[in-house]
Amino acid sequence: MNQLPKNPALRRYLYRFLIAMSLYVVFLVTALWAFPIYHPTGPLAYLLGILPALPIIAVIVIVGFYLAEEKDEFQQRVLMQAMIWGIGATLAITTAWGFLEVFKLVPQLPLYVVFPLFCALTGFSTGMLKSKYK
Amino acid sequence: MKNRIRVLRAERDWSQADLALRLEVSRQSVNAIETGKFDPSLPLAFKLARLFETTIEAIFDDEIAEDNRGL
Repeated sequence: MNQLPKNPALRRYLYRFLIAMSLYVVFLVTALWAFPIYHPTGPLAYLLGILPALPIIAVIVIVGFYLAEEKDEFQQRVLMQAMIWGIGATLAITTAWGFLEVFKLVPQLPLYVVFPLFCALTGFSTGMLKSKYK
Repeated sequence: MKNRIRVLRAERDWSQADLALRLEVSRQSVNAIETGKFDPSLPLAFKLARLFETTIEAIFDDEIAEDNRGL
């Protein structure tokens, strides 16, 4: 019944990730709900606006903790390689998209999609690398 | 890097999972090292050598060294 991974570093990562993502949902809903009702201004508006970004930044830190705590050097290597592929692909796509935006060929991409894009590309790379090492 | 892990494992009748447990790494790691797709760090190589009661050189075969022997 226990679906949790045996690897303690991975288990801690999942636990922290779930907390961060729960906070993300709460913060996002709070910000989306409060803005149209209270029309905050000044520093409060910035604080409320940045709120949903904080758990996402925490996820980046949490991934860093996982890499530091993972004792299995092979798993560490796979994730690092996957992240390098993810970074490269994200930079390539967003750079290309940026120029297409200049010429009004594509709609403007909101910057908050960059991180999920990086995660998706890193996830895809992890799959590719794992099949390569199989 | 080419290595004799599969043979050493077979001599002891250990599965990849058994070896992984003894090395405190994942089974995928053992598989990647055994198939020569991933070179372990020096500490892990020493751990392997100690576990098989032999030396690192007796487990791993550096092809460059092999070429040198041929000269």
